[in-house]
Amino acid sequence: MLSRVANNLIWMNRYMARGNGILALLKVNFYANQDSPELFSWTPVIKNFASSETEFHTEDTIECIDYMIFETSNDNSIINIVTRARENARSVQEHISRESWLCINNYYLFLTNNNLRQRLKEEDPIRLLEELLGHHLMFYGTNDIMQERGPAYYFMNVGRYLERVILISDFTTLKLKEISEATDDLEKGLYWRNLLLVVGGYQKYLKTYKSSFNEDQIIDLIFRDKLFPRSVYYCINKLNRHITELIEEGELGNNNLQFLLGKLESSIKYTTIENIKDQGLQNFVDGIKQDIGDISENINSVYYTPIN
Amino acid sequence: MNKNNLFSSYDKLPNTWDEMYNDNAEFRVQYEQFVEYLKNTSPEKLSTKEELAKQLFMSQGVTFTVYNNNEGIEKIFPFDIVPRIITAEEWDKIERGIKQRLKALNLFIKDIYHEQFIIKDGIIPGELIFSCPYFLREMKGVNVPHDIYVHISGVDLIRNEDGEFYVLEDNLRTPSGVSYMLENREISKRLFPGILPKNGVRSVSNYPNFLYRKLKDLSPIVNPNVVLLTPGIYNSAYYEHTTLARLMGIELVEGNDLVVKDHFVYMKTTNGLKQVDVIYRRVDDDYLDPLEFKAESILGVAGIMAAYRKGNVIIVNAPGTGIADDKAIYIYVPDMIRYYLGEEPILKNIKTYQLSKPVELEYVTQHIREMVIKKTDGSGGYGMLMGHEASDEEIKDYLDTVKKKPDGFIAQPILKLSTAPCFIDGKLSPRCIDLRPFALSGVDGVDICPGGLTRVALKKGSLVVNSSQGGGSKDTWVLK
Repeated sequence: MLSRVANNLIWMNRYMARGNGILALLKVNFYANQDSPELFSWTPVIKNFASSETEFHTEDTIECIDYMIFETSNDNSIINIVTRARENARSVQEHISRESWLCINNYYLFLTNNNLRQRLKEEDPIRLLEELLGHHLMFYGTNDIMQERGPAYYFMNVGRYLERVILISDFTTLKLKEISEATDDLEKGLYWRNLLLVVGGYQKYLKTYKSSFNEDQIIDLIFRDKLFPRSVYYCINKLNRHITELIEEGELGNNNLQFLLGKLESSIKYTTIENIKDQGLQNFVDGIKQDIGDISENINSVYYTPIN
Repeated sequence: MNKNNLFSSYDKLPNTWDEMYNDNAEFRVQYEQFVEYLKNTSPEKLSTKEELAKQLFMSQGVTFTVYNNNEGIEKIFPFDIVPRIITAEEWDKIERGIKQRLKALNLFIKDIYHEQFIIKDGIIPGELIFSCPYFLREMKGVNVPHDIYVHISGVDLIRNEDGEFYVLEDNLRTPSGVSYMLENREISKRLFPGILPKNGVRSVSNYPNFLYRKLKDLSPIVNPNVVLLTPGIYNSAYYEHTTLARLMGIELVEGNDLVVKDHFVYMKTTNGLKQVDVIYRRVDDDYLDPLEFKAESILGVAGIMAAYRKGNVIIVNAPGTGIADDKAIYIYVPDMIRYYLGEEPILKNIKTYQLSKPVELEYVTQHIREMVIKKTDGSGGYGMLMGHEASDEEIKDYLDTVKKKPDGFIAQPILKLSTAPCFIDGKLSPRCIDLRPFALSGVDGVDICPGGLTRVALKKGSLVVNSSQGGGSKDTWVLK
């Protein structure tokens, strides 16, 4: 496969995963903000998930959602993210299924339809967010069913899981900061619950631990659970699997990558909750982010090194 | 009786061939079936279909992007839903005519880059060739595989008031539009379910398979690595490049994906360099190799021409084919056919005046109101003077420019392009059209896809069908 194509496949999926994560955050914060605007304000959302240089500020719910979805001057707005995902998809059409391309293209057209921004102002914003989230689900489902297993599929998954780990780490960092500033346990509990909702683990948590929010169990679910598809361990395990497939197919030089991933995977697997708490969850998350950053750079270096 | 008034205000243009009506205001036989269908379909329903067609083009991504203030706006090329219909008999002549023409043009290119008999025998003046910007000295003496220069062509035809097809220009470099031929047909299938088989319309969907086979057969290798080279996503024909690559199952590459090493071309893949054997390039000659042509080009590949001359890679179309579709050379194509093939041209040329000849310049100046003047190296409908609609001042300015470099211009009488029915504002109206069939030349001969791109001047009274100037397209039905 062309190196450029591999790179575009990774980024197409990173963007789609990022859009998915940001939309989920907006939806969860919408509900939480209605309950307690003082705990779940919009400012941290914009500060952490809009483009880093933004000076935009609002506590108006609709204004914030509008900014996060439609504002083209916000580099990380959904419209910019999807535009980039689509440009990546457009240039690799012969490698992805026709259905995947149509799916991403229709998402883009839906987003750029002139009425949509107006709809946000006049109608139920949750319905709109869910419609957008639906396009991401459609994209994942389409790839799952239509994409043949092989290098293109593996590269796509590398992008998806890389981005997912980064998102979970960022969400956790955001919540930990709020938790550290919380005044009582009730407040802390609300933040932890909110984190579960943002990563989509609330239901799984209830099923497993019932409705009592215990910090250790939440950390365990989000970071160490083997079966929850949006846990850090699960994502890194998948990342490792797809990268191993690529190495075995000769599509990716080993380049220390397997070592880095194996190390990260076992460091999560064999770290107990006590270990995590000893070093501090934030340090633990920072460690993961650092490792993921190295892995991502390592993959990039494979494709940006001129072969001569 | 008509259920609707679709046909009520069809104002035929005077002295113009209409594709649907004959001179007695009767429907031509090839349109009868479809007219029957139209008569039984309300204008509202047709409007719905028109809207559906637009949506389909958008959702399939058959678009080009116009960038404005960092915002990309998706555009579709306008599409008229009423097909243009061609009889088997008409097609037969077109097919024979194009085959004959391509045969002669290909021989001409080979001759020009080798012995130049046609100049020595005084058929074409040498200075015309050597001063042509499309003449590539880099191709002199280069033997190309199977002596095929023009693998892919899109000859533009128009139908004059006499009902004959004339060649407007030979597009022998990197003609585009074939994806619209394919896509327009796919849309027609959905707009008019069951109507195509009823009419006995010949299929065009094999084109990518034919193209792939022609490309593959050029190489002596059993399974050559064939790629399509695109200038990239900002090119207005990018949609076409992705479509063709996808439908052929070949890699779509950009200049940066390729590298030349020891006179072989490779693509940079995730598991190292992989040799490339055949390149269907959609990058112009000038940008192909920064070492030999435009040095600042980032669309091409450094060293590719040297690899080509060594026979290590096949470039399609061959570099330098522009020498045969220059507007000044066009005049000599009938002579070429007589010279190389000893045959009379099946398809006629349009009467063309060379403004470098004082007598002809004088004649054109006198009859300027009936003339269109074009640059010999222009394309896309730019830089033309349409004598019948220009102001006196525009004409004067244009003629001043011509007089500075008369050999850079030709003139032709303003043509009566034939008209075909278009669905406009709820009614059928005649609009001027042309026809671009796509021909593939390969080791096993020339194949012409039974169909093509019918371009239409959607503005009332306009003769300019170019998409850059308000033109659109139609599906083209060739009947069995």
